Amino acid sequence: MAAKFETDFGQVLPPPRSQQGVTGWVRANLLSTWYNGVLTVMSAAVLGAALWVGVRWLIFDSDWTVIGTLGGQLVIGQYNIESACPGQNCFWRPQVSLLLVTALLGMAWRVAGGGLTKRIAIGVAVAVSAFALLPYSMERMGMDVRLLLLANLLVLGVGWAIGRYTPLGTARWATVSAVGVFVVIVLLLRGVPGIPGLEPVSVIYWGGLMLNLLLAVAGITLSLPIGVALALGRRSRLPVVKVLCITFIEIFRGVPLITLLLMSQVLVPLAFPEDFPQNSLFRAAVVITLFSSAYMAENIRGGLQALDPGQAEAARALGLPGWQTMFLISLPQAIRNVIPAIVGQFISLFKDTSLVYIIGVLDVVEFGRAFIQGNTEYLASAKELYIFLALVFWVFTYGMSYVSRRIEQHLGVGER
Amino acid sequence: MAEMKEAVAGDEIIVCRDVHKWYGSYHALRGITTAIKRAEVVVIFGPSGSGKSTFIRTINRLEEHQRGQIIVDGIELINDIRNIDAIRRDVGMVFQSFNLFPHLTVLSNITLAPIKVRRMPEAEAQQIAVDLLERVGIPEQLDKYPAQLSGGQQQRVAIARALAMQPNIMLFDEPTSALDPEMIKEVLDVMQELAESGMTMLVVSHEMGFAREVADRMMMFDEGVIVEQGPPEQIFEDPQSDRTKLFLSQIL
Repeated sequence: MAAKFETDFGQVLPPPRSQQGVTGWVRANLLSTWYNGVLTVMSAAVLGAALWVGVRWLIFDSDWTVIGTLGGQLVIGQYNIESACPGQNCFWRPQVSLLLVTALLGMAWRVAGGGLTKRIAIGVAVAVSAFALLPYSMERMGMDVRLLLLANLLVLGVGWAIGRYTPLGTARWATVSAVGVFVVIVLLLRGVPGIPGLEPVSVIYWGGLMLNLLLAVAGITLSLPIGVALALGRRSRLPVVKVLCITFIEIFRGVPLITLLLMSQVLVPLAFPEDFPQNSLFRAAVVITLFSSAYMAENIRGGLQALDPGQAEAARALGLPGWQTMFLISLPQAIRNVIPAIVGQFISLFKDTSLVYIIGVLDVVEFGRAFIQGNTEYLASAKELYIFLALVFWVFTYGMSYVSRRIEQHLGVGER
Repeated sequence: MAEMKEAVAGDEIIVCRDVHKWYGSYHALRGITTAIKRAEVVVIFGPSGSGKSTFIRTINRLEEHQRGQIIVDGIELINDIRNIDAIRRDVGMVFQSFNLFPHLTVLSNITLAPIKVRRMPEAEAQQIAVDLLERVGIPEQLDKYPAQLSGGQQQRVAIARALAMQPNIMLFDEPTSALDPEMIKEVLDVMQELAESGMTMLVVSHEMGFAREVADRMMMFDEGVIVEQGPPEQIFEDPQSDRTKLFLSQIL
């Protein structure tokens, strides 16, 4: 035996067999003790039963026709019904908006130089254009609709080419274009009085997934900078700024979002003359953004507090002024460290956009619910509808979560 | 700025007169009066809590003194932010825990301040960075991030970062205390080369071998005052104060 130890000394050896392979893993993780074994068997039984019930329902009992019946209305709500845009069909406006987004993605793909952005851009364009092939009758889904969907593939290439062959192919211009596209989309959907074909469509007809996405994009892009400003204000040495920021944060964090949404509809109009143009959706978007900003501010403040004070000291010792120390040294590190919390807030914001049903607009969830309530023959299909809606939300939120994980990897969070 | 210029003896680059500093009610510096000459290398030592780090941190205003006068390169340290920024551009500092910026590459760590503060063209700043990394002996690490370097390499990058601002004075706050023994020498070698090149240096350190070899003057701090100062030979061979004797007997 002693000789055996001598030969092993200092050599690189593989780990013992019992810790490797499937059997090793099962033994170590599922059956390591008797109670672990009992837990494993019990969990397997419960999982198996749930799977059995679920799969049986999925194969034999579920009826997904309600999704097909609703179809594109889940995406645009009542936007193109007769009372929304009298005497014309406005379906093309959301469609063109989608094309603009796809073009932007193409441009971003080129600017980012491939990788994740490329996969997202191609994924979105392919998924969207695949809807053109849905087996609806031509009366239900006309050639114009299908062609506009297919055009996403073409437009993706156009966006890429703009990034490749024009001077707009820089990160700065891509950002400017993104803001521009958002503004154009809002104008397109809202309409411009006096321009034929662009008659205004009241915001009470905006709805479906389009509405959730619009609110989420506006909220996400604005709540981060507002949150940064609030976080800095809360740490300010100027007492007035500090107290104002604390008050704002604590009020918006302390009141339920639904209450804030209701107040925005009931109280804010009181502050304006009766004939002042009112836009309930705009107020809702502002409330969602500010609500999210309050949480964002606290996330970022947490990130700033976790920083080693030596970082700011080193920057000041190099002669960097206070604001450059903040924006070049402290904030980038603070934000990087709280990416999980920030993305959590984005995800939460996206899901919370459903709450705008409270002000009477039909977001994708409320649209489905209202449809089932108004068409009793579909009452039994509520299960399928809600499962489908859950899946839609999950796809988007999981996408956000995936992107954030990739960004964390790229920035080496936790490693440097 | 002209009225800020103080009449000081020509070759005295730092002048401190009766400098006091309190943290709350704790009296950290209790009247420091000294002058440091151009190209002088001063090693400051003493027990922890003696005020030695606080003292060198008052020289670039990371700590504010509340009484007395500090004049650096002819500019008095007062609350005027322009004075402070001017002095910080002129005084480099190296910290115990390196304090490199972890989200920036080695190159960006070094070029950041020259570009943003000195408004140096990017190419020029990068050339300076490359030369400095060569000088501190790690020319091949430009594009790495600080966490990918050893402690000794990080501290040498930190020295290069401070030198990139082309300071007249360098402050070292226990530059080797956080390092593994085998990395201390590589940092001390860089500091020795810097001292020989004529840099004015204030070094808080207990590396007595370095002090004996490189220092022009040593200062023993205790309880917020300079207990004793003099050339290394005198401090080591013939210390005058009992506290210096006791402290040296404990660390040597």
